[in-house]
Amino acid sequence: MRIESVWIGRGGQGIVTAVYIVAHASIADGFYAIANPEFGAERRGAPVKAFLTITDYFEDSPEPIKNPDVAVFLDDKLIDTMRVVVEAVKPGGYVIVSSGKGPEEVAGIIGRKDVNIAVVDGIGLALKHVGLAVPNGPMVGVFAKVMGLPRLESIKEAIASQLGKAVEQNFAAAVEAYKTAVVIPAAEAGSAKISVEIPTTSAFLTGDYELVGWDQIPEGGLVYPGSSLRYKTGSWRVEKPIIDHSKCIMCRRCWLFCPDDAVLEVWREAKGPGGRVVRVKAIDFSYDYCKGCGICAQVCPTGAIQMVREL
Amino acid sequence: MTLQLELGKVRQKRIALTGNHAVALAAKMARVEVIAAYPITPQTPAVERLAEFVNNGELDAEYIPVEGEHSALSAVVGASAMGARVFTATSSQGLGFMYEILPIAVGLRLPVVMGIATRAYSAPINVWGDYSDVMSMRELGWIIYMVSNVQEAFDTTIQAFRVGEDPSVHLPVAVAYDGFWISHVLQPLEVPEDEEDVMRYAPITRSWRKLDVDNPASLGAVGTPEWYFEIRYAAYKALEDSIKVVLEADALYGKMFGRSYGLGSGYKLEDADVAIVTYGSIYGLARKAVDALRAEGIRAGALKIRLLRPWPADFLRRRLDGVDKVVVVDRAFNHGGLVGPVATELAATLARPIYSAYATIGMRATDSAALKKAAERVAKGEVEPMRPFNIGLRGP
Ligand code: SF4
Ligand code: SF4
Repeated sequence: MRIESVWIGRGGQGIVTAVYIVAHASIADGFYAIANPEFGAERRGAPVKAFLTITDYFEDSPEPIKNPDVAVFLDDKLIDTMRVVVEAVKPGGYVIVSSGKGPEEVAGIIGRKDVNIAVVDGIGLALKHVGLAVPNGPMVGVFAKVMGLPRLESIKEAIASQLGKAVEQNFAAAVEAYKTAVVIPAAEAGSAKISVEIPTTSAFLTGDYELVGWDQIPEGGLVYPGSSLRYKTGSWRVEKPIIDHSKCIMCRRCWLFCPDDAVLEVWREAKGPGGRVVRVKAIDFSYDYCKGCGICAQVCPTGAIQMVREL
Repeated sequence: MTLQLELGKVRQKRIALTGNHAVALAAKMARVEVIAAYPITPQTPAVERLAEFVNNGELDAEYIPVEGEHSALSAVVGASAMGARVFTATSSQGLGFMYEILPIAVGLRLPVVMGIATRAYSAPINVWGDYSDVMSMRELGWIIYMVSNVQEAFDTTIQAFRVGEDPSVHLPVAVAYDGFWISHVLQPLEVPEDEEDVMRYAPITRSWRKLDVDNPASLGAVGTPEWYFEIRYAAYKALEDSIKVVLEADALYGKMFGRSYGLGSGYKLEDADVAIVTYGSIYGLARKAVDALRAEGIRAGALKIRLLRPWPADFLRRRLDGVDKVVVVDRAFNHGGLVGPVATELAATLARPIYSAYATIGMRATDSAALKKAAERVAKGEVEPMRPFNIGLRGP
């Protein structure tokens, strides 16, 4: 037996813990497992990838998974940016998604009829049981449901060992996901061959940079201005800032503190005295780059900025 | 009394200096612009002399008296990143304390020049000269010279600026000279009378990538797994290719100043059956041992390695391929390794078993008689190849 899975999520969603829990529980069930998370961009909200292989024979190679049996998305917004992962799943395999959207809508986004699709509102269940928007527990539960392993008791043991706290709450979230996840079976067999592979590079997690040869890179790794333009961190957001211009005193603290230069100073038309339309300076946000950290709202002295739920 | 000499096209004078003071004078004549150093035996007189030059106005440079070597190298890395010609010097544990910054100067491709008055690593505390410090930095990407006398220390320090700042190189350069046996030994040397001649030889190129407010860029950004390999490979390749620049710079130096050293030098190797290979000040002892061996009918030769990095493989093969028995006298332990540090690399280079000896560890005194004895044992088959033996160690 060999089950290869790829888990896609964002920093802060507990993806590393999720694969550790499944691996731990599988090992408790007597299998071999390798949980191999990719580290580096562990900033909250940044896309993160983890590999998990479960076997019934000894295996210790960190070989990247190119055509998984299972793809797990902890965030449905990542399906489009990581479409290659969806396309690389073996026909007859599984795509498991955490989404607040209806299962049919998610199946439409996935767009493959030759894979089994499982959907659960992971964030909703995590908020209900744990009080945090960390959908890892529910996704572990769905994995166990569709794959038939690991056993729920082993998952509980793994949660206790890997988290060490809020064990009952996380386990309850996993169990409810196990019970309520909607599974849409594959409608057709699909072709035996898949032409797409998940690239071994992790560049697709960061942006569409041209990976040039060593002789084309500036000496000493010098980086010129504008190199982050294509690195659109806007997709990291869970919440977005909105401004109430009537409260803003244009002190520009938000502008000063934003770590992503996403607070903009723009011209805005406003009603002046006597009904005249005047152009005034105003604060706005660049939503391509705002990653929703909430610092601007925190530092605003007048409470002009509110963070509102997007996901 | 100084003797006026006309050598090459450059007017020079003969003076007497210790190795430390010769290295300091070379850095001064190359008009370094920023110096940051922390004193440590046996390097101290070198940086004291530079501080004097700055203090009395003979050298127009910033001297940063830092609180330790980690800061010393960090400061010159920063100054070099601003485009300045920089210099630092250290020894032993001081080099160890710089370790974190050593590969950074390489990755950022900054032509820092550093003098190393070589010294044994503690413990036990030993302020004396062996090469355990230098051997510990071989894999980090620096160009590393090992010199054999005061004159060579002076000349090589000047060459180091030309080589490191060459547009095809842009790498840091270390000039290692024996602690005490060169650093504190007074010898005659010839030096250019006019600093302008040194600056003609080694003009400051400022061709490396530097921080410039009019043309902003960031130096020292993250190199993710998608980029690190390529950026580091460029530095690796530049070091490998720098051997050409080392030779060109040495040849030009020879033309202008009348002295050149190549990648090393050989002594009576042409018909030799046994060769003593070593580095640093004891090359003179090896040559004497060769003469004594030849007087007894043993056809011996000697070779000294001047360039430790990049490793001069072709030069070594050319000089040693025809020699039956090669013994390397290493001056630092290769703890847990097969043979001495340089012996390991030379055996790989020649692709055959060679002989390996340890000597001068912790600056245990040695002499030409001891080296002669060692070569005799090799010639007579009394020691095994690829099994290190010791010169001057007490005990079994
Ligand atoms: S939430 Fe505010 S501070 Fe944070 S990235 Fe967005 S605009 Fe900048
Ligand atoms: S910190 Fe608040 S008040 Fe100040 S400019 Fe920003 S939004 Fe306006």
